Amino acid sequence: MSKPSPEVYEQGKGMDAHNQVMREIRGRNDKSYDPTEPTRVWLDEDNTPDGVYQSLTIILNTGGCRWARAGGCTMCGYVAESVEGGTVAHDDLMTQVQACLDHEKENADEESGLIKIYTSGSFLDEREVPAETRRAIAETFSDRERIVVESLPDFVDREKIADFTDQDLATDVAVGLETATDRVRHDCVNKYFDFADFEDACAEARTADAEADGVDVGVKAYLLMKPPFLSESEAIEDMKSSIRRCAGVEGCHTVSMNPTNVQKYTEVEQLYFGDGYRPPWLWSVAEVLEATAEEDVIVVSDPVGHGSDRGAHNCGGCDDRVQKAIKDFNLRQDPSVFGQVSCACELTWETVVERETGYNLPLAR
Amino acid sequence: MTEYFEVHHRDGAARVGELRLSDPVRTPAIADDVTADAGSEWPEGRELPGGSEDEVTILPHRGFPSGTPEEVQEAFAPDYPEVEYPSGVVVSRETAADFGADVYVLSGAQGIVDHAEAFVETIVDVRESIPADSALYLPGVATPANVATLVYAGADLVDTDRAVIKGTQGKYLTSDGEVFLEDLEELPCSCPACQQPADSADREDCIEHNVNALRTELARVRERIRSGRLRDYIEGQARHDQWLTATFRRLDQQYAYLEQRTPLVRGAEITAASDDTLRRVEIQRFAERVTTRYRNRFDAPLVLVPCSARKPYSESRSHGRFHDAIQFRGHTVSMTSPIGVVPQELELTYPAQHYDSVVTGRWSATEIEFVADVLAAYLERNEYPRYIAHLPEDYLPIVERVEDRLGIDFEYTVAEHPTDTESLANLSSTLAGEPKYRKRERQHNTLKAIADYQFGEGAGDELFDDLRIESRYPKLRAHDADGEQLAALVPNYGTLSLTLAGAKRWLDSDVPTKRAEIDAFVPRGSVLAPGIVDADDDIRPGDEVVFEGPKAISIGRAEMSGPEMVGSTRGIASEVRHTEEK
Repeated sequence: MSKPSPEVYEQGKGMDAHNQVMREIRGRNDKSYDPTEPTRVWLDEDNTPDGVYQSLTIILNTGGCRWARAGGCTMCGYVAESVEGGTVAHDDLMTQVQACLDHEKENADEESGLIKIYTSGSFLDEREVPAETRRAIAETFSDRERIVVESLPDFVDREKIADFTDQDLATDVAVGLETATDRVRHDCVNKYFDFADFEDACAEARTADAEADGVDVGVKAYLLMKPPFLSESEAIEDMKSSIRRCAGVEGCHTVSMNPTNVQKYTEVEQLYFGDGYRPPWLWSVAEVLEATAEEDVIVVSDPVGHGSDRGAHNCGGCDDRVQKAIKDFNLRQDPSVFGQVSCACELTWETVVERETGYNLPLAR
Repeated sequence: MTEYFEVHHRDGAARVGELRLSDPVRTPAIADDVTADAGSEWPEGRELPGGSEDEVTILPHRGFPSGTPEEVQEAFAPDYPEVEYPSGVVVSRETAADFGADVYVLSGAQGIVDHAEAFVETIVDVRESIPADSALYLPGVATPANVATLVYAGADLVDTDRAVIKGTQGKYLTSDGEVFLEDLEELPCSCPACQQPADSADREDCIEHNVNALRTELARVRERIRSGRLRDYIEGQARHDQWLTATFRRLDQQYAYLEQRTPLVRGAEITAASDDTLRRVEIQRFAERVTTRYRNRFDAPLVLVPCSARKPYSESRSHGRFHDAIQFRGHTVSMTSPIGVVPQELELTYPAQHYDSVVTGRWSATEIEFVADVLAAYLERNEYPRYIAHLPEDYLPIVERVEDRLGIDFEYTVAEHPTDTESLANLSSTLAGEPKYRKRERQHNTLKAIADYQFGEGAGDELFDDLRIESRYPKLRAHDADGEQLAALVPNYGTLSLTLAGAKRWLDSDVPTKRAEIDAFVPRGSVLAPGIVDADDDIRPGDEVVFEGPKAISIGRAEMSGPEMVGSTRGIASEVRHTEEK
């Protein structure tokens, strides 16, 4: 397993370049954030191995990803939403959690069965979220059914997971795998771990699962559709093969495949401003979901900012309908939902898929 | 080595060439069917393909979309192997260099079309960074409306991607822009896809039409290049879109890029229908040479006359009348937009007898400024004992400007119109008492003036100090005192063709020469680019060039610029007129 801290990552020319660029771009952002407020919180419905739950999603402001401080992923702007100074104290983190509970109380009739905690980094990295805080949060949600915590594979550890399973919480570790293709993850995303590390993390989760008595532990892989430099067809193929490879890894029961959106202060945004990047078509999302529906893994997708120029979009006329079909698929895993939407712009999309290459992209806006 | 591409015709930065595949392809062309993409190395590593003589294999690449940071381009720039088959490499503005390929595919083209400044700077940079005799492919951007400008700027290959995509969106493309198919009452085209009422045409028809329209436009562009008239087309057609107009205007500001590629002479006529014509290299070059190289050798008074529609001027009815009134007692200089001023000795010299302008009797402010600037520069260099303006009223604002600027006074001889009896009588009487110059002086001065214009300041005196002239104007031949021929005036272009004796005299003179060094062979008929060892930078297509090697010395007329001779591995560098073995 490779080491988590950026300073000891295998050094490479491409990584150095991406990091240098991302540091410079992130440096243009002069906003800073209140460490006592969560980055974002919302209520939704989610499909899990034991059915559909109301979910409370929390983006915890932990000071952000350590990797992003070195530069980080080409599409990720979340570091820009983290606090100045870097670390957030235990009390502040607990204040954020309380704010999320208040939000839930105000906006939902009942408590959510599923809690999802993301940090734009690694919840299981103790430099980001101290062990004390992790245990306190596990305790806070002990009356719920399931919890999802985000982490790089390096930090997936049976003992940390036990903090949640000890509270009888079925636990999923959300791993930002982005793609199963190491070359794409390294060169296009600038994320430096290998698929083998992901497999190791899944194995560790299996062990945690075996050790936890009657409480499930699994891994939810997060994939990124169409990182920069890929054509539409390359992006589709990358996702299909990634989903198939994830389905083949024991312990990975769910894949969340999410189209790249153009976030502020990122290399992707610079490409977008230069007319060199277009987020994927919603048709491409549908195509991948449809083609992999038979795989033995739950596949969901949440196109952020769908229909907008910065998010996955089609022609503007059909975006909401296709988005609705995707949401429908998320809950039912039934590919026939896509047979019920059509639009004249499918011809344009098909042409883009057929003709877009690494040197002529993007062919259509 | 560019083995599979050769340039056959040049028209400024535009070229007609040939992809030398098993089935040859004339360029500028649509690349769809003649290129094979070996794939992007972003998603996976690729094997070097085996290639084929049937198509251009685009070697495994990492494209850099527009907006890719320079550091990232440097880190991921692929290193292309040299291969034995027709090959293309993907480059960006930052990574363009000589990779020994036949075709250079520009990634990031999406970000520069529709942006004139970025487009012009990128194309100029890339063209200057890749070999002259390689093809430049702009992928994913061509439309019937922009392809003429893409080619004018220096593109050799395009594709149907954008035309097809636009068709899928129901956008109907023509050389004057795009409209939604559904907004058309009738289809303004007669291609096979358009043989139906507008309301029955669907998007598949729209795609087919768009591709047909692109093919038609490309054929038009190729024909324009062959006839040396692409610029005239661009000045009209580009006006349908602001970015296209801005592009050719900004290219005019890249004077060095265009000037290097613009021939000294052409057979084709220049259509002067807009102020943009004034920015053409041919016009600027003529004005520059007339005001810095040419020198008047007559002692007679200056007589400014208006230009005539018929060329050369001396064959027009109006100039015939002026001539009858002047009777060799004045030095006739014609004033004209867009050329500026044309001394009588240079009336044959390109483009003085090769343009046709729109005459309305109303001059634009730009025309007035341009012609006044040229006239003032001309008169600062050439002093006359008297200044006579035999000009119609619409020319007078120009002359008055120059009078104010230089502090000289003109004598005006036109009453109503330059060719009316009273005006001609005025002109004649104004010159009363002035001596006539002789035919011999006129002929000598003509050849010397053309030599100045063509070879540089003072060349006429250096090359022709003991001149004897044979034959009749305009087919004058220059001989030395011993009767050996040095040069002949080419009436169609108004330039001099040198003999070997003339060429040697040129080499021995203090006048700047244009020379190329060749390998050990004896040129017959032409010199090919691979035979060139070195060539002067300032050689332009149409220039007289001396070729010298271990085995021979030759004189000929260049087909390509000096830098192109040095950088090319294929193609005719120059026609050769005379050769002498050593």
